[in-house]
Amino acid sequence: MIRFITRRGLLALLILFLAVTLLFGMIHMMPGDPASVILGPKASPELKAELNRRMGLDLPLPVQLGRFYGDLAQGDLGLDVFTNRPVADIVREQLPFTLALVLAAIGGAALIGIPLGCFSAIRRNSLLDRVTAVLSVSFIAIPTFVVALYLLLWLAVKWRWFPAIGAGESGDLGDQLWHLVLPAIALGLGWVGYIARMVRASMLEVMEENHIRTARAFGLPERSIILHYALRIAVLPTVTILGLGIGSMLSGALFAEIVFSRPGIGKLLFEAVMTRNYPVVMGSVVVTTGFFVLSTLVADIINAALDPRLRDSGRAS
Amino acid sequence: MSARTPISPRRINRRDFLRGSAAAGMALAGGWAAPGWTIERNILHIRNYVDLTALDPPFSVSGGEGIVSQAIYRNLLCFKPDGTWETELDSAEFFERVDDTHYAFRLKPGLLFTNDFGEMTADDVKFSLERIVDPAMNAPNAPDLATLSHVEVHDRYSGTIVLDAPYAALTTVGLAGATGAILSRQAVMSVGGRFGVQPPCCSGPYRFIDWQSQRKTILERNLQYQGPTAAFDQIHVYAMTDDKASEMAFEAGQLDCATISVESTGPFSKNPPPNSYVDIYPSSRNYWLGMNQTHPKLQDLRVRQAIQYGIDAEAVVEAAWFGLAETSTGPIPKGMTGHRDQALVPPRGDPDTARKLLRESGVALPLRLRLDVDTNTVVVTAVQVIQWSLKKIGIEVDIYTQDNSTFLTIGQESAGDQWQDVQLFFQSFIGLADPYYSLVWFTSQQLGIWNWERFSNEEFDRLNKQALATNNLAERDRMYRRMQDLMEQSGCYRFVTNGIMPQAIRNTVVPVFRPDGYAMLQHFSPITSPA
Repeated sequence: MIRFITRRGLLALLILFLAVTLLFGMIHMMPGDPASVILGPKASPELKAELNRRMGLDLPLPVQLGRFYGDLAQGDLGLDVFTNRPVADIVREQLPFTLALVLAAIGGAALIGIPLGCFSAIRRNSLLDRVTAVLSVSFIAIPTFVVALYLLLWLAVKWRWFPAIGAGESGDLGDQLWHLVLPAIALGLGWVGYIARMVRASMLEVMEENHIRTARAFGLPERSIILHYALRIAVLPTVTILGLGIGSMLSGALFAEIVFSRPGIGKLLFEAVMTRNYPVVMGSVVVTTGFFVLSTLVADIINAALDPRLRDSGRAS
Repeated sequence: MSARTPISPRRINRRDFLRGSAAAGMALAGGWAAPGWTIERNILHIRNYVDLTALDPPFSVSGGEGIVSQAIYRNLLCFKPDGTWETELDSAEFFERVDDTHYAFRLKPGLLFTNDFGEMTADDVKFSLERIVDPAMNAPNAPDLATLSHVEVHDRYSGTIVLDAPYAALTTVGLAGATGAILSRQAVMSVGGRFGVQPPCCSGPYRFIDWQSQRKTILERNLQYQGPTAAFDQIHVYAMTDDKASEMAFEAGQLDCATISVESTGPFSKNPPPNSYVDIYPSSRNYWLGMNQTHPKLQDLRVRQAIQYGIDAEAVVEAAWFGLAETSTGPIPKGMTGHRDQALVPPRGDPDTARKLLRESGVALPLRLRLDVDTNTVVVTAVQVIQWSLKKIGIEVDIYTQDNSTFLTIGQESAGDQWQDVQLFFQSFIGLADPYYSLVWFTSQQLGIWNWERFSNEEFDRLNKQALATNNLAERDRMYRRMQDLMEQSGCYRFVTNGIMPQAIRNTVVPVFRPDGYAMLQHFSPITSPA
């Protein structure tokens, strides 16, 4: 298992390096003048040039990249060019909002999607199965921002059951949870359908396997067979998908954060890109990419822990 | 400030039920609080279109920051809360122009800075103004006090502002604007000589309490303020870059006042959210179609003039601003010195004249031109109407939209050679309290910086200097009118509109806005019983 984790960990670092390097290049090749945005129209060309020098934008791209990695190795993500605050502080402020949103969304989706998929598989071709299938595909098909807008229109604007904007008052857990409900539903709804379909398909496959038939032959209760023998295996692909889901939701959270005016890393990244605030863009990219890679790694490790064949596959090869 | 909508008992029951259910859940989770979207009494909740990046006056470049600055700081002078650009005394009890380069002032005694930084003195005025133009500060707002030499301190409260050269915008842009805020020398030096979004002291009717990145800024009534008591206990200024999100927040009752998008103004006006109304304020923004006169396709004056006459500005305003704005006569908006009553090119244009000019120029039709624009929905609509207008006279326009940061570079020489490829572009610049700020971008000095039309005219440059150096309003008026004539005669500009600033306002609030539609938070007040 240690060898497996080491191997996957090194691979994760390589992926992180390649992804961040690629993104660094892409972001810096975008046309745009951060100095004009930051300093406003009144700033003289000399002042703008000075700011570009301070940001290192006058250097060749490989040198900028080298400096970026050098600083990163020391845990320094640079300074926000607008506020002169350390980017690490800014990201640290915003990250909890996005993590809370993503975990609430994916957690809620898993809590609903797994039992739903399981139940659909057990009651295959029943009315519930058909209704679940239609709903699942609908949930998957509707884009996050559309869900967000309608939730906002109905539940916040029309009926005023939930707040429309913000993340709640600092230090007030109840208020923060209350503000989390709509964005989490908007972000997680598609995943309910996705997880339900995936669990259903896996369950149907597992239920046909020999060990399930054997268990039934031994007269084990059906509930026990489903929960202890079938679902445990059927949920494996879902764990992998959940890992990927957390990663992609970190960037997908942007829509929910904008529609609900929530602070968060997605909104931070979006606004930083729009204003070419390169240090904040890169700081956010490093963190979101890092989380994506980390969540995938954790999913792999959980999979390996649940299924010995996976952790032994490397050794066998 | 309470801005809740009267609601039916049925809704109360449903909401109460949900709140109760949620409360039970939250209590189990270990934390309970009243839901936070309920608007508390005597707190003003207002939208700001940007998040703060600096409240240090020399570095505060956005109008959104100015909204907050003017509520927490005092200047020598301030704008009257009557919708004009006229100024009145603020922290000064006396202010007088001695001559074109000397302005004497005397502070009101007993004005206090918060955080125990003591009384405001003439030395604080000297410190605050001189640091703006100090070359070592590299302050982007230094041009606001362009010709400031120094401030002479005579005694604890009085002094003289000394300029190197006459500067007509000193009182409006330099002293009454956000740049001219007076800070405590001791307070600023205690934080190293400059600061970001955490001001070390305040002196206005409100004091700064907290800034939550991407969320809101909280101001609180400054009990040490020597003027009329601030009307609200607190003001919560929400950073909301997205118009639609702020409109929904207003509809949901979470905001008392919000700038709304142009496209929502009509629906909001006809069917306003409960207990609210929409007011349309003028804007000082100048929207125009620019033409790069050095581009081979546009070097012929007759072609540029044909484009001017080919564009139906009224149709553009009708489609993009839903007829809520007026066509403009130039960069200087109504109510400001130098505003022209009418432009040289009629608002509807004149397609026959345009066709005639094109014929005379001998240009091969259809003439295909590129038009660059940013992604703002209003201006994208505007350029589509321009495209339609020009098609009628034989000019095919290809529209290229790009995000604002990219668009800002297309005519800048510092960003490479692409400025040479610029043909047509639809641009907008914001104005300030003095007409010079609406025209300074078109001088020869700005070639390749903000002057993307490559318009260069000696008379224009000369008038720009002269108008800024005289305090004679009639003369300034004449000069600025002439400058706009010159711009239009060059064929480089087709002025479209000055835009609007639509505001959705709760009936429980009495708002006050500047002539350019920016909120004057310090003058907002509540109405205890809704009208």
